[in-house]
Amino acid sequence: MSEKKEYKVIGTRPIRHDGVDKVTGRAIYGADFQITGLLHGRVLRSPHAHARIVSIDTSRAEAHPGVKGVVTAEDLPAAEDKMADLGEGAVSLKYLCDNILASDKALYKGHAIAAVAATSPHIAEEACELIDVEYEVLPPVLEVRQAMESDAPILHENLRTSSLGETGDKPSNIASHFQHKKGDIDKGFDEADVIIEREFVTGTVHQGYIEPHNATALYNPDGQLTVWCSTQGAFTVREQLAEILQYPISKIKVVPLEIGGGFGGKINVYVKPVAALLAKKTGKPVKVLMNRADVFEGTGPTPASYITIKMGATNDGKITAAQTSLVFEAGAYPGSPVGAGAMCVFAPYNIENVVIDGYDVVVNKPKTAPYRAPGATNAAFGTETVVDELAEKLNIDPLEIRLMNGAKEGDRRADGPVYPRIGFIETLEAAKEHPHYASPNGKKYHGRGIASGFWFNIGLESSVTINVNPDGTVNLVEGSTDIGGTRASIAMQAAEVLGIPAESVNPTVVDTNSIGYTAVTGGSRTTYATGYAAYEAAQDVVQQMKARAAKLWDVDEDNVQFADGEFSSINGKEEQISFRDLSARLGETGGPVIGRATMNPAGAGGAFATHVVDVEVDVDTGKVEILRYTATQDAGKAIHPSYVEGQIQGGVVQGIGWALNEEYIYNDEGEMTNASFLDYRMPTCLDLPMIDAVIVEVPNPGHPYGVRGVGEVPIVPPPAAIANAIYDAVGIRMTELPMSPDRLLKAMGKI
Amino acid sequence: MEKFSYVNATSLKQVTSLLSDSGWGEIMMIAGGTDLLAELKEYIETPKTLINLKTLPGMDSISADASGLKIGALTTVAEIAMHPTIQHHYTVLAQAAASVATPQIRNVGTLGGNLCQRPRCWYYRDETVSCLKKGGDLCYAVEGLSKYHAIFGGDPVYIVHPSDIAPALIALNASIKIVGPEGEKTIKVEEFFTLPAANPFRENVLEPNEIVVEVHVPKPNPNTKSLYLKAREKGAPDFALASVAGVFEVMGRTCQAASIVLGGVAPAPWRSTDAETALTGKMINDSVSAKAGEEAVKNAQPLNDNEYKVTLTQNLISRAAMMAVSK
Ligand SMILES: Cc1cc2nc3c(=O)[nH]c(=O)nc-3n(C[C@H](O)[C@H](O)[C@H](O)COP(=O)(O)OP(=O)(O)OC[C@H]3O[C@@H](n4cnc5c(N)ncnc54)[C@H](O)[C@@H]3O)c2cc1C
Ligand code: SF4
Repeated sequence: MSEKKEYKVIGTRPIRHDGVDKVTGRAIYGADFQITGLLHGRVLRSPHAHARIVSIDTSRAEAHPGVKGVVTAEDLPAAEDKMADLGEGAVSLKYLCDNILASDKALYKGHAIAAVAATSPHIAEEACELIDVEYEVLPPVLEVRQAMESDAPILHENLRTSSLGETGDKPSNIASHFQHKKGDIDKGFDEADVIIEREFVTGTVHQGYIEPHNATALYNPDGQLTVWCSTQGAFTVREQLAEILQYPISKIKVVPLEIGGGFGGKINVYVKPVAALLAKKTGKPVKVLMNRADVFEGTGPTPASYITIKMGATNDGKITAAQTSLVFEAGAYPGSPVGAGAMCVFAPYNIENVVIDGYDVVVNKPKTAPYRAPGATNAAFGTETVVDELAEKLNIDPLEIRLMNGAKEGDRRADGPVYPRIGFIETLEAAKEHPHYASPNGKKYHGRGIASGFWFNIGLESSVTINVNPDGTVNLVEGSTDIGGTRASIAMQAAEVLGIPAESVNPTVVDTNSIGYTAVTGGSRTTYATGYAAYEAAQDVVQQMKARAAKLWDVDEDNVQFADGEFSSINGKEEQISFRDLSARLGETGGPVIGRATMNPAGAGGAFATHVVDVEVDVDTGKVEILRYTATQDAGKAIHPSYVEGQIQGGVVQGIGWALNEEYIYNDEGEMTNASFLDYRMPTCLDLPMIDAVIVEVPNPGHPYGVRGVGEVPIVPPPAAIANAIYDAVGIRMTELPMSPDRLLKAMGKI
Repeated sequence: MEKFSYVNATSLKQVTSLLSDSGWGEIMMIAGGTDLLAELKEYIETPKTLINLKTLPGMDSISADASGLKIGALTTVAEIAMHPTIQHHYTVLAQAAASVATPQIRNVGTLGGNLCQRPRCWYYRDETVSCLKKGGDLCYAVEGLSKYHAIFGGDPVYIVHPSDIAPALIALNASIKIVGPEGEKTIKVEEFFTLPAANPFRENVLEPNEIVVEVHVPKPNPNTKSLYLKAREKGAPDFALASVAGVFEVMGRTCQAASIVLGGVAPAPWRSTDAETALTGKMINDSVSAKAGEEAVKNAQPLNDNEYKVTLTQNLISRAAMMAVSK
């Protein structure tokens, strides 16, 4: 495609458009938002992991001075048996609503039960203590294998397992079971000379975004609801509010404020409908902010999982069969990312015979939410460890075995899709050629590990309009939350088309009334899909401007061409005018020019990554130090290489935290005991070396510049790469995350 | 957080007399607030009055002379960590202070607050739990989750003392000056901390109307090598899983005297006389240092989840001993 093209803007590193506001503290986040008459809301949360709500008495709270309104699930429209459509298939409206404010049962500690609006946050907090809730405490179930047992406490009396098209006949915590099959699994294992089968357990981890959830809501007397909030997608908030509140979409406006991180965790709504209910009840604007414990206990982490992987290979290294069972906790309501995990689990390899079983299991923990390549990291921890073990048994270099079996264009993934041009092999080659891989690795207790990862990326809807200013700059209007520098990467794609500098494009992310529908910033889609829309909108600008030049010169429109920011006439007249000069003459040639495009592109193009890590294991303390880290990744085309590198580094860091330290620690009562950033240990710069991000560019045929999503796949390989490095260092296979000092000391037989 | 009134301290006399109006918890002192504020927010403490100590004059400096150090209780942890004399001659103290929390917290948190900070046990920090330490009947760590709890001296309360500075001060044989309504007294830091068997509700001997004013550290002998080793799960901020404050008098590879105090493993800083005895008078080599580690943990009593701390402590002591005699 566009491989050999010379670009002026694409591939450069301009300063991001939102940078100055952020470093000077001027950017407005949800907690900063102010409006006259503002009330403050606070949510009362369940102290129990599993309990029947016998009664809620809010009278004492309502009588408390300064309290303006109290809401419970009774204030939500009746949800029984209805289905809600959020664009991703139908979900039970009852589950959706119950997760906002529990109606009949509290299903996890931290489950929202009621909420208060008051004149100050302190009064709201005090008043929460005055709400009398009578609970009938039930035994909780916290782990998938226990939840699947026949005598396990049941979360939802009405939940029946849907398994391969059949529906079970008794209550169960297994919400669903599905299967992908390819080839003949028995034949595949028969052909294998070596078979490895292992079990893996991963912990519940949180995205750990710095900014807690927040929302301010206001109902105008005419029924117009406005919500200002931090979200990964204003339109998905609008949809969820419309379903949960059973309120017309046309009466809801969602205004996205700056976002302090999301990583998937800010797609589902939590306090937004609560703020809206309180605003309705009080007639005043109401702001609800979470604190850190609320975030850990009352929002969606990504699931713990129990995974078995069985793989077989011939003596010369060909992987002949792969089988897995992926059991993911959904949290309190069905809907874990096990489906995505199943798409990714063996995706890097072309294997003829595959069986993948996925189970979605409810447990008494918060309803899980996406987290960067949801499901893929759990799955890759298993697969990539087993591939490493196969390589070792067969005495083949771990990069070589991946090169031998790596998926290429035309190969079919077990869940169906056939790969277009992909760049997995190129990431392996880049890793192999990197000086890191050739550097010595022989010191005692030092080890090197390799792992690869896949994420499919998504397209979905995006809208962009571009308004041309008389000075030759343009205002680009879009609806994609900018989390990782996408205002820049989207603006740059328009700038390239228009032949103007990136700085001449002013991108703005606007509310749901001011732009066409745009799906969430998620699935690594924004630079791809909204960038694609910006490219098309800019093309639209060019078309319209050509017509203006034609008018100016009195030539046929077909006789105007545009290149390098200059319009010129071909055929006859020797006319030329720059984009900038023509911009100043729009008035006289017919009025303003607005380019527009809406997209739902299908060719997102999957992303692959290969990571190399060196660790040192302190055998006295069980502590693992990351000495060196190299991450190669196919970005298709890096629009702004710094932000691609930033995404890679950020993903690796989160993967390292997941690998070594992070986990929800639950006691027997189902309470998270470490709901703070002190006790929930995320890595800091002290725990990390410089992470060398190596961008490989195999253009995606589904995008005009070849872009592939880059944000998610870098979190996929780290836990497996580190586990493989630990094995190389001390000869111990770690199969449980996190690989914290106590676990490592135990595994090394030192306890 | 409950409402409270706020009083700026003007003199020690005023502070102790204000404090004498109540028992524990009604009127409390606040210094940097890095520990106390979190307790207020979580409703672990609900004082009616806070006395701001930061307005007390002359309590925030370090003076060093031939006899030793005097450090005011309001000195920040950062100042201790970065003080050149402390870094050179009282290395264990500087290293311990530097290992505390994060730069921001070290810049605000004070010496007095660090020594008087409350436990980090997750049951203690949970407002809904009334455990033994808070006047309830049970130490939940015994049957519950005990990954970060004590392996020594626990009965009946299995917290670990969270301070990194305390073990260093004890290893250096420091004293602490306390002022109460009846005047001042100076005791050994080692005697300042108490085990739960003596008082399950508090971690030290301070009365509700007493204030820590100053710490004195005698100057170590010239042939002293001191160091602080702290094992933690991540770089920072993280409390010690186990730590060793070691002060060694060494001649070549011979250890003439050793003072070894452990952090993160007991409800008070834990002097390991077993390790000290195993090292004193010995040429330090692999087997002697290994033996010292073994001796130190022979009486350890781990709970369900913290057996790893025994290994950790043993290995840290051996490592500290080897480091004491290395260049
Ligand atoms: C995230 C985090 C990580 C941390 N990590 C570590 C660590 O790794 N190692 C470590 O040692 N500590 C650690 N700490 C604790 C920190 O060192 C202490 O919070 C700090 O030193 C306390 O000092 P302060 O002045 O802020 O005390 P304050 O919070 O003001 O007071 C703490 C307590 O001491 C009492 N008090 C204060 N001064 C006096 C005095 N002069 N006389 C009598 N009583 C007094 C107060 O009444 C209060 O009960 C950490 C804290 C946090 C929040
Ligand atoms: S260790 Fe102490 S603070 Fe923790 S539960 Fe036991 S008694 Fe309470």
